[in-house]
Amino acid sequence: MASISLKGLNKTYGPLTVVHDIDLDIADKEFIILVGPSGCGKSTTLRMIAGLEEISGGELRIGGDVVNDVPSKDRDIAMVFQNYALYPHMTVYKNMAFGLELRRAPRDLIDAQVTAAADILDISHLLNRKPKALSGGQRQRVALGRAMVRNPAVFLLDEPLSNLDAKLRGTMRSEIAKLHKRLSATFVYVTHDQVEAMTMADRIVVMKDGRIQQVDTPQQLYDRPVNIFVAGFIGAPPINLLPATIARRGDQFVAIFDAQELPLPSHYDKTRIAAYEGREVVLGIRPENFHELPPADIPQQHLAPFTGIADLAEPMGSEVHLNITAGGRNLIARLSPRFKVAVGSEVRLIADTSQMQLFDKDTERSIHH
Amino acid sequence: MRWLRETWTKEGPGIAKDAATKHGLALFADIIRREWWEMVKLNLLFILASLPVVTIPAALAAMASVSVALVEDRNIYLGRDFCAAFRKYGWQATMAGFIMSSAIALGVYAAVTYGSLATGDLLFAVPLAISVAATGFICVVACHDLVLMVMRDLPLAQRLRLAAIASLARPLPAIGAIGFGAALWLVHILLYPISIFMPATLNFSFGMFAVTFAVHRAAVESLSRISVRTSREGGAGAVTQNI
Repeated sequence: MASISLKGLNKTYGPLTVVHDIDLDIADKEFIILVGPSGCGKSTTLRMIAGLEEISGGELRIGGDVVNDVPSKDRDIAMVFQNYALYPHMTVYKNMAFGLELRRAPRDLIDAQVTAAADILDISHLLNRKPKALSGGQRQRVALGRAMVRNPAVFLLDEPLSNLDAKLRGTMRSEIAKLHKRLSATFVYVTHDQVEAMTMADRIVVMKDGRIQQVDTPQQLYDRPVNIFVAGFIGAPPINLLPATIARRGDQFVAIFDAQELPLPSHYDKTRIAAYEGREVVLGIRPENFHELPPADIPQQHLAPFTGIADLAEPMGSEVHLNITAGGRNLIARLSPRFKVAVGSEVRLIADTSQMQLFDKDTERSIHH
Repeated sequence: MRWLRETWTKEGPGIAKDAATKHGLALFADIIRREWWEMVKLNLLFILASLPVVTIPAALAAMASVSVALVEDRNIYLGRDFCAAFRKYGWQATMAGFIMSSAIALGVYAAVTYGSLATGDLLFAVPLAISVAATGFICVVACHDLVLMVMRDLPLAQRLRLAAIASLARPLPAIGAIGFGAALWLVHILLYPISIFMPATLNFSFGMFAVTFAVHRAAVESLSRISVRTSREGGAGAVTQNI
């Protein structure tokens, strides 16, 4: 069993608390990703799990056992670092075998484990080479292999793809995801890249300022963010956040932005919405919820016209990111590459309001989730 | 001091899985470029292991075993593998060394004797030529025998037979390797005292590496013929290893 449980885990450096009372349960064989901006405490949390940082308070359990004071080498974990941390004077084989050699494993076992891991990672042709001859992606595979040969219950990965170029990052993402399925181990992964988080994780832990903002599956985080930070962090391009006022229209509610009325979806809890009638809220519309023509699969009551001034069109190949100004605010809309508009001219779009998010202006928390 | 750290951490060019493999002298030079420091350490190990003098054959065999691993691009733990080979091939190498050195000594003696006689009577040039050729052939056989010994466990007679056949089939690479080794010593002598550290650092190991690299292909071909013959006759229950 390789479940991990964090109860009230915190980390302080003198008077400064960098991780505040983290409560998190990670199931056996789960792939969980800690994501957040730089300095949010995700790496510190990972290092506390690894035993590389002393735990200031709270309890850490791995496989049901409290491991607060257990040395790293006895926690049945393996770690992969951002800068690979390969021994430069050792060959790939020796780098991968080092952990087992320290444990005085039989030579046959070491050879079998290293060979098997090298075959899985497709680095068998590199076993007798030194790290300085390898590319970044190859080094990262070696670092993964070094973790794999020990057959740990838990893999801890600290931004392992940050040093790779975008194309290689995409390749390695799928490699790591396949590796997780193959090894059936618990993966705890840290990244600041929300694309990595969304594509690989079973669940994502969004952190900010040393606190957990939300823990959920990637799609739920995307569709039901609990606050403005999560809504803005997940999704690329980021969600458009607009000041709007809630008004009643008969038995329905609308959000008014820049004199434009956007009907709120009927499935929203009217009791909660009613409490904000006449008040300013923060409205969130994702860029893909703007369309040039009414989509046939969206009910008419969830569609509303939206007008703005086109500032800039960024062609992305498969789509266009159109920067629009409306009500003094900048918005981004993801539109078809066939959509042509002159910069500076008025653009009329259709807004799909069924996925709109509403946040309290003061607490920044979601009103309807 | 970032430049110092980046000496070790800078990203390399990468090694493609389907990159064209080098052959011949290009491969020889590439392996030396990659493993030269291991060879320097191997040289020092050899010298240490040879200090008792009677252990020279065993040390040669251990050095050959490590050199074969370098040629075959296998991972080595230098100290551990050297010592294991030293123990494993100690007696075999001593026996083979005695036989080969006796044969070579006999050949050299014959060549010197006929050489001195030939200065008086040209008729002795024929046995002189024969003894020189025979001595050279024994040297080549010795190279093949040493490499075969560390590549597979075979009975002495069979191994010598295989070494002789391999020497007849591909003598030139071994001769070239012996020449390379001789050239190293010649350079040391010519450049002395500047080259004072050559024997301590590279003469023995580089020479042995050249020999193993040169005869490796012939050794592999010889050993593969045994395997084929053994597998063909294995169905009959009897293994005949006549070559």
